[in-house]
Amino acid sequence: MKKLYSNKLVIFSLILPGLLLFIFAILAPICLSIYYGFTNYTGMGTYDMIGLENYKNLLHDEAFAISLRNSLLLAIGFICIQHPIAMIIAAVLDKLGGRAESFFRCVYFIPNVISIAVIAKLWGFIYNPNFGLLNNIVKAFGGKGDINWLDEKNAIWSVLIVLIWHGFGWGMLIYYTGIKNIDPTLYEAASIDGASQSQTFLRVTLPLMKPVIQVNVTMAVISALKQMETVYLLTQGGPGNSTQFAANYLYQQGFTAYRYGYGNAIGVIFIIICLIATVALNKVFEDRDEVRMRKHERDEEKRRNAMRKSVTVKNKLNSIKAVG
Amino acid sequence: MSKKKKAGIGRVFMWVILIAIAIVQIFPLIWLLDFSVASSTEMFTSGLLIIPKKIMWSNYSKAFTDGHFLLYLKNSILINVLAVILVLIASIMAGFACRRMRWKLSGFVKTMLLMGMMIPIHATLLPNYKIYTELGITDTMWALLIPYVAFSLPQGLFLMTSFIESIPVELEEAAVIDGCGIYRIIFQVITPMLKTSIATVSIMTFLNNWNEFMMARIYLSSDKWKTLPFSILDFTGQYSSNYAIQFAVMALTAAPAIIVYIILNKHITKGVAMGAVKG
Repeated sequence: MKKLYSNKLVIFSLILPGLLLFIFAILAPICLSIYYGFTNYTGMGTYDMIGLENYKNLLHDEAFAISLRNSLLLAIGFICIQHPIAMIIAAVLDKLGGRAESFFRCVYFIPNVISIAVIAKLWGFIYNPNFGLLNNIVKAFGGKGDINWLDEKNAIWSVLIVLIWHGFGWGMLIYYTGIKNIDPTLYEAASIDGASQSQTFLRVTLPLMKPVIQVNVTMAVISALKQMETVYLLTQGGPGNSTQFAANYLYQQGFTAYRYGYGNAIGVIFIIICLIATVALNKVFEDRDEVRMRKHERDEEKRRNAMRKSVTVKNKLNSIKAVG
Repeated sequence: MSKKKKAGIGRVFMWVILIAIAIVQIFPLIWLLDFSVASSTEMFTSGLLIIPKKIMWSNYSKAFTDGHFLLYLKNSILINVLAVILVLIASIMAGFACRRMRWKLSGFVKTMLLMGMMIPIHATLLPNYKIYTELGITDTMWALLIPYVAFSLPQGLFLMTSFIESIPVELEEAAVIDGCGIYRIIFQVITPMLKTSIATVSIMTFLNNWNEFMMARIYLSSDKWKTLPFSILDFTGQYSSNYAIQFAVMALTAAPAIIVYIILNKHITKGVAMGAVKG
C-alpha cells in the first residue's frame, strides 16, 4: 500500500495536467506581464527597457486612482445595500416554506444566469434617454423624465445599480443556505422564551451567520475589484474615466491606446492588489475566529471543571447518604 | 388579540417586501420580452409596457438567423461541456494526488494551484493574447478552452480535495488488496463516490464560463468559434437600427440559460450553495 501510494511516477502523472494548465495559463502570463511592465512596448515593432518608468507613471495616473475608488464604492454598495437586503429576504424566505419559497428563490436568482452581454445591453436601453424604462417610470411619477443617466455625474451610480441588481440573487442564495443550516431547535427555544421575530433575527440568526457573512463580504470585495464586463459594455469606463475599473483600464491601455507595456504594468499592480485584499480579509476574519475559538475552549474548560466539582460534591453527598 | 393583529401586519409587510424585490429583479426582463414582440415604431412610448398591435414573431426569426444563434449555441455547448469534463478529470487527479498520495511537496503544490483562485482573470488578457498569437492558436477553440479550464480548476480542486478527504481510506485499502492500481482506484472506486461534488463542480464551471465573453472577444477574430453572447454583441447587419429586433436577440440569447436554470432549479441552488460556502 505504502509503496503504491508513494510511486513518484504516478504522482507526477496525476499532477501533470493541473500543473501544466497552471504554468501555461496563469504563471507564464504573469511572468510575461512582469517583463513587459518594464518596457515601452506599444504592441508592435521594437521596444526598449525603461525600468520602473511605467510604475512611476502609474502612481500619478488619475484614471487608475478613479478605478480603485470605483472598486471601493462598489464594495461598499455590495456590503451596505445589497447584503442587508439579501439577508433580510433570505430570512423571510426561510420562514415562508412551500411553493412560494422556491418560486421567489428562483425569481431572485434569474438575473444571475443571464449573460452580462444581455444585462449590459438591456440596462443600456433602460437608461436610454429617449424611450428608456427608467425615464418612463420617472414620468409616471410626475417627473420630467429627461434625465441622462449615463452622463459624467450619474454614470457611476447607474453602473453600481446594475451591478448590485445583477449580483443580488447570488448573495441572497448564500445567506439563504446559511440560514437553512441553522439548527431549528434554536428558533423553538427562542419562541418559547417569548422572543419576537426581529429579536430572534438579531440575537439568534445574525450571530450564527457570522462565518457566512465573512465569506460573502470577502467575495464582494474581490468581485468589486475584478469588475470589468459590465462597464466594458455599458460605458467603456466613460464618460471621461468616471466609471473606470482597473481591469477595463488595463485592457484599454494595452489594446486601444497602444501602451501594451503600461497595460501590463497595471496588470501586475492589479494582481498584487487582489492578492493583498484576499490575504488581508482572510487574516482579519481568521483572527477573530481563532479568538472566538480560544474563548470557547476556555469556557468549555471552565464548565468541565465546574461539572467535575459538582460530580464530586454529588458523590460526597451520596456517600454521606449511604453512610447515613 | 393584539398579538395576532401584530403578526398579521407583519405577514402583510413580509409579502410586500418579497413582492417588491421580486418586481425589481424581474421587471426589466418582462419589459424586455414585451418590447421584443413589438414593432420598432411602437417603442417610443411613455408607458411602462406596450400592448403591441400585432405580435411580431418575425422579430425572433430575424434574430435567430441574423444572430447566428444555432452556430453560437453549438459552440457554447461544445466548449463548455469540454471545459467541464477537463476540469473534472484534472481536479480529481490532482485532488487525489494532493490528499492521498505520499510525497513531500503535496502541500506546496496544492497551495500553488489554489493560488489561481486569487488571480484576477482579466490581468492575463494582455500577456495571454501575446502567447496565443505566438503559438498560432488565436481564433481556435483552444484559445478559449485553455483559460476556461485553467481558471475553473482551482475552485474544482478545492471542492474535490475536501470531498476526497471525507471518503474512508478502508475502501481504497480493500481495492489495493484486490490488486487495483492507482488509476483504477481513482476512476473506479473514488470517482463514483464523488457524485455530489462532481455535480457541484460542473455547475460552478458552467456558471463561470457560459456567459464569459471578454476572452472570446480578444482571442477570437472569425465567427467560427464564437459563443452565445456574441449573438447580441455582434448583432449588426441590416437590423442594427431596429431596436425591437435587438430586444428579440437579447431574449433569445438569455433563453437557454434561463430555461435550463428553471428546469434544474433545485440542483443548481444546491450546487451554488455548496460551491460558494465551501469555496
